[in-house]
Amino acid sequence: MTRTINFKYWDEIKEGDTVTPVKMDVPFERVILDAAATQDYFPGHHNPAYAKHQGQKAIYLNTMAIEGFIDRVSTDWAGPHTFIRKRKMQMRSSIYAGDSMTGEGKVEKCYSEDGRNLVDLSIVISTQDGPCVPASVTIELPRKAEAS
Amino acid sequence: MTEEFKVPFPMEFGDYEDALKMVGEPGPRVVAEFSVNWEMIKIYCSMEEDGNPSFWDEDYARKQWGGIVAPTGLLLSWAMRLQWHPDKELDHYFVAMKVPLPGDTLINVGTTTEFHRHLFLGDRISVEDRLISITEVKKTRLGIGHFLTTEAMFHNQKEELIAVQTNELFRYYVPETK
Repeated sequence: MTRTINFKYWDEIKEGDTVTPVKMDVPFERVILDAAATQDYFPGHHNPAYAKHQGQKAIYLNTMAIEGFIDRVSTDWAGPHTFIRKRKMQMRSSIYAGDSMTGEGKVEKCYSEDGRNLVDLSIVISTQDGPCVPASVTIELPRKAEAS
Repeated sequence: MTEEFKVPFPMEFGDYEDALKMVGEPGPRVVAEFSVNWEMIKIYCSMEEDGNPSFWDEDYARKQWGGIVAPTGLLLSWAMRLQWHPDKELDHYFVAMKVPLPGDTLINVGTTTEFHRHLFLGDRISVEDRLISITEVKKTRLGIGHFLTTEAMFHNQKEELIAVQTNELFRYYVPETK
């Protein structure tokens, strides 16, 4: 399997640029893997009866899974040389076993601050039922000249 | 048929006035049970289908960062408690789980995290958190309860600041007549 790795540089990015969407299915197994991978055994993430007791329709992804997916949307687009400086996210509805989620975004701002080359991204994680998690991420990237 | 579940962890119950007494009080500083390790990083990235070579490729990671780094999304996991320990009571490390309120369940609502430096293999974090605020009772589509905001500081074993995270969760109960 061949994977393509993108490397974006701060001085090549413009406000309004589209962040490449990332789609990932969330079968029951991924929600269970999430609980194990993050050592988060809160029962809403693995016990359907408990999730229903909470008013949820099924077990659902935890915070760390969604944070990691937001980060992946950012770094799949900008490249592995990205340093994530700040991430803010609001889980307005849960992402359930059986859903398919997509992360999309755009560049809000490019600027320098304290000697750092920063880019603000707005990202939204949605499922087939609509937007679930709006997020904003500030990433730090090298300039093209620094890479050569 | 009623499905049954066992409430899997101890929760503190009380009223809003009890909970308010905890605002501003720092929780104990907890040293993580897990040191940062490549196995957990790979399992997490496998779950996320995240192929970032900073997490998988030693040569790339060494040149870019000085070594394999931990995904930022895995920050909280290093400080998770074990499900059983020979010497420690089953307890929660995070103060939000210990606030006395009426709700019998909770759900996380949002996080804001500022990252100061990477975590590397072998690092061991410690966490200190405190309750910042509790709202009065609110009704949402899930149930009735209170929103709690906490702030946690994460340091590595060299006392270098790794990250500061503000977390908001909803502690609630589902009314029977919903």
